Amino acid sequence: MKINSAVKLGTVATFAAVLLAACGSSSTSSSSSKQTLNWMESSALPSMDSSTATDVVSGETMNNTGEGLLRIGKNSSIHPGVAKSYTKSKDGKTYTFNLRKSNWSNGDKVTAKDFVYAWQRTVNPKTASQYAYMYAQVKNANAIMNKKKPVSSLGIKAVGNYKVVVTLTQATSYFPSLVASPMFFPQNKSVVQKYGKKYATNAADNVYNGPFKLTYWTGTSDNWTMSKNTKYWNAKNVKLKKINFKTMKDPQTALSQYQSGKLDATYLSGQQPKNYKNSKQYVERKSASTFYIELNEKKDSMMKNKKARQALSLAINRKQFVNKVLADGSTTAKGLVSTGLASKNGTDFNTAAGVSSATSQDLTKAKKLWKEALKETGRSSYSFTLMADDTPAGKNIAEYVQSQWAKLGNIKVTNSNLPFKTRLSRSQNGQFDAVVSAWGADFPDPISFLSLFTSGNSYNNGKWSSKAYDKDVAAATGKDANNSSARWTDMVNAQKTLLNDQGIIPVYQQGKAQLVKSDVKGLIYFPTGANWDFSQAYIK
Amino acid sequence: MADTVKLPEDSFKRINADDRAALDSEKIAAPSLTFAQDAWRRLKKNKGAWVSLIVLAIVFIMAFGSLVVSPHDPNAVHPSYANLPSKIPGININGFNGTLVQAGERIDAYKQAGASSKFYVMGTDYLGRDLFSRVLYGTRISLIIALVATLFDLTIGVTYGMFSGWKGGRIDTIMQRIIEIILSIPNLVVIVLLILILKPGMTSIIIAIALTSWTNMARLVRAQTMEIKEQEYILAARTLGERPMKIAFKHLLPNLSSVIIINTMFTIPNAIFFEATLSYIGIGISSPQASLGTLLNDGQKNFQFLPYQMWWPALVLSIIMLAFNLLGDGLRDAFDPRTKE
Amino acid sequence: MAKYLAKRIFYLILTLFIVITVTFFLMKLLPGTPLTNQAKLSKSQIALIYEQYGLNKPVWQQYLLYLAGAVRGNFGTSFQFSDQPVSYLLSSRIGPSLQIGLQAMIFGVILGILVGSFGAMRQNTWVDTTATVVSILGISIPSFVLAVLLQYYLGLKLGWFPIAEWGGFIYTVLPTLALGATPLAESARFVRTEMVDVLSSDYIELAKAKGLSRTGVIYHHALRNSLIPLITIVGPLAVNIMTGSMVVENIFSIPGIGEQFVKSVLTNDYPTIMGLTIIYSFMLCVVLLFTDILYGIVDPRIRLTGKAN
Repeated sequence: MKINSAVKLGTVATFAAVLLAACGSSSTSSSSSKQTLNWMESSALPSMDSSTATDVVSGETMNNTGEGLLRIGKNSSIHPGVAKSYTKSKDGKTYTFNLRKSNWSNGDKVTAKDFVYAWQRTVNPKTASQYAYMYAQVKNANAIMNKKKPVSSLGIKAVGNYKVVVTLTQATSYFPSLVASPMFFPQNKSVVQKYGKKYATNAADNVYNGPFKLTYWTGTSDNWTMSKNTKYWNAKNVKLKKINFKTMKDPQTALSQYQSGKLDATYLSGQQPKNYKNSKQYVERKSASTFYIELNEKKDSMMKNKKARQALSLAINRKQFVNKVLADGSTTAKGLVSTGLASKNGTDFNTAAGVSSATSQDLTKAKKLWKEALKETGRSSYSFTLMADDTPAGKNIAEYVQSQWAKLGNIKVTNSNLPFKTRLSRSQNGQFDAVVSAWGADFPDPISFLSLFTSGNSYNNGKWSSKAYDKDVAAATGKDANNSSARWTDMVNAQKTLLNDQGIIPVYQQGKAQLVKSDVKGLIYFPTGANWDFSQAYIK
Repeated sequence: MADTVKLPEDSFKRINADDRAALDSEKIAAPSLTFAQDAWRRLKKNKGAWVSLIVLAIVFIMAFGSLVVSPHDPNAVHPSYANLPSKIPGININGFNGTLVQAGERIDAYKQAGASSKFYVMGTDYLGRDLFSRVLYGTRISLIIALVATLFDLTIGVTYGMFSGWKGGRIDTIMQRIIEIILSIPNLVVIVLLILILKPGMTSIIIAIALTSWTNMARLVRAQTMEIKEQEYILAARTLGERPMKIAFKHLLPNLSSVIIINTMFTIPNAIFFEATLSYIGIGISSPQASLGTLLNDGQKNFQFLPYQMWWPALVLSIIMLAFNLLGDGLRDAFDPRTKE
Repeated sequence: MAKYLAKRIFYLILTLFIVITVTFFLMKLLPGTPLTNQAKLSKSQIALIYEQYGLNKPVWQQYLLYLAGAVRGNFGTSFQFSDQPVSYLLSSRIGPSLQIGLQAMIFGVILGILVGSFGAMRQNTWVDTTATVVSILGISIPSFVLAVLLQYYLGLKLGWFPIAEWGGFIYTVLPTLALGATPLAESARFVRTEMVDVLSSDYIELAKAKGLSRTGVIYHHALRNSLIPLITIVGPLAVNIMTGSMVVENIFSIPGIGEQFVKSVLTNDYPTIMGLTIIYSFMLCVVLLFTDILYGIVDPRIRLTGKAN
């Protein structure tokens, strides 16, 4: 549609009619081409190389254009992928995967060698993968990353074309869910070598073995398109023909696009969820990330005082924050580990390991403890800074927590909202009094959270330390690794220790509010890793 | 022969010094006025400027007075009173009576929140804080940022521009290169770096704006100086051996005043806007501090459902801008000796 | 003129060199790493990756390496778009930004001249008042608020224009209006002020006395002399548009470089920060050079050689 650029403001009305007609026709054409999904992302797709990709959008896209040995389904359940089946050795250290016969989108066969090649490429220090650490459980991976051993020594072997044998350093119960995530996907060696530096930098210079293939993406574009991959082994069950991804960086814009029918789904933020609570299209997605406050125990005696930490925790009305302020599906944190991440015999981890006194409000008790803490550390009042991200979420929690803490009396809290990277390096360097941190699980196992707060861990910014905690975490990853019930008890004890001592102040578990058009069915969401699987989605 | 005309004794009167003075045709009847007095007199004649001055005075008094007296504590949080619309006692017009359209129906939001007896003139924000108090608070912060930036504009920018334009030649070229380099560094880099080097917050923003904003003024003043310095009256002053300093203050400055004042009127919104832009992209001042920029930005996000959260700060900002502009116009006319009466 | 140009181009290169140097060393003071996954990497893991990128070298070595690369047109590889060269990232995204920026500038300045000169010609009438109100509104509303209003009313409610995204000319209308408001207002005010001054000067009286038509006076004498100060604000307006584009591109989901800049600064994407700084500086230098040349053409009293007499 060409319009003379000399068009003046006054004539807007006249060509508006033309426009309306144009818009009308385009919207009818898009609705007639059924089985097209228009999906919103809040940032662009930066990479499609499973060895170097680092972000959520890449993970989500790759999860739909590629397939690993296994697939993650609803509620993080594990399903067969390229592997028809697998067996685990008694000691839990060896996995044998039996592959099905399947093809890449260019017709090449997907073989065991493609997995060996991809895994070795990711772990190779030359690749500089930022996710290589996820391979830590695979035999020799750490040594290879540190250039102590050759890449070929990695604990993965191809036996013939259709059998993969993986050796681990120790039993790892969550290994199947790791294998299902994009950084463990196969890569077609001849294609990687053919395109060299250009490999996976745009839609064409790549091959796909998943339900969809990328058909439009320039490498830097804000929009990209997936189309059904007819070469996919399970293609007959893939119903969507096309998925258009559109980057909407402004939530207001995204909502307007949704309202005007240009998007079939959109995330809500700020005050938007409150206004759609009663809508049939409103959905809340729980994510496996917990927001908590770390208190710097190295900087000041006050934060080292357990009573002070408990007082700060007891002062926060988490229910009010989650229901009245956020109202987006976020829930109060019952512990460090996110609720719904793991369960044993139908009992959620937090039901077993939650400590309510460390995650609920009791202002009278809080005031009393705060007074005692002030007395014990010999001061009349305490002033400090609460550091948080300079994002809407960071501002929300900082403003709210500050107002709650003010109620303790003899306290002065100043807020400091910083850009993410600045906040991160300040907390890692111990340049803070209190900081709002967040952690999202990489895989559905409590250890993804619990390993953070061992003494000397680089994510343990507050430098809280407990021998009992360290011992339990070490047991869960070491001697009890292959004994699921002992391991469970270890992890439960670890979180209880952390909460009883108020090593951190858990605040809330993040939820994402979303609007989805009612004719979109079969979406699969899971709270860790790639989040979305569109292979069974369809438009009714 | 000569008929002497007999005149009565009192036909003539000897005049004294006082009478002579009264009859002097060269005498200027009006009291003699200085430049500033004259400007003030002309400013008072300009109704728009006069009203603006009063409006600005009120805004300043309210914004800075809210340090002492404020309708509510701007940071007091009442989550149960969140997002209440404007309610002004005695006015029953939709938009000002505490009602809100929710799911297609107009409901009394105050009743719903159990706050029927309360009044929030501009409503409340997402944490239930009184928007009116926050707007006052935000106005204060924005004004401080703008005024400090303007101060730098006036001191550094004008001096630099006048010097550069007056000297000309090599000095001018070097000074212009320096400006070009400063102009060529995107402000954002400077600001992010300052936020990290200094303590994050208002100081960094003020310094960053100050460091980058004076260049515009300097360039304009320089251009005007180059033009004026070729004028006859400057030449005359030089020929008479007037000191350059005196020429600068007596002759250049008054003739530059129009350019300086207009540009100042742009520096103020620019500084306020710049801060607003910073808060939009995520490196503004820290919560729960507020500026008009952060308030607008917060309101902008909820415009579809809670339009008043954007309209109120926008209204206040526009009033301030309007007042500054009209006052600027009035000042320009008042200062400019060429303006016709 | 040729000598003058050569001199100015030399200065342009010098300016760029200083900008690169200053930005490079300041940028290295940013806390944190350029790694996207920094939050989940331990210090030893970061050190390993740094080695691969050559980020473990002393800063001055990195600086020299960068300069050597930049001279050969190699600006490094972006960290956000992990496999994309910065030169490709920027060249593939600069188009929309330039288009909207130029459109906003042209639309704003031309309309601003019209509004301003009409206001001056009909001083103290309703025309003048309207012109003043237009220009004051233009500078009283931040571009992101204006963008939201335009998007909501003209885009969503009336459906006249697309709400967001990038396509044909029609997609550029709302962003252009949002970005063009400030240039419009600023140029309108400048033209009005200058024109009022000029219209009261002796040579205009003379021209009128000689019986020149009203349009003749305005066009040949008043307008030409009123436009001179306008040229000096074109540079700052360009800066204004660049800053504004960072916000407007975000709101209208335009695949440009403005939004990239904010993101690259916030994520310590060193190569992209440098690439964008160079591009912005270069564009600004060109605009400034252009206005200086134009200044000489429009006002013969200004000598481009800059020699003092």
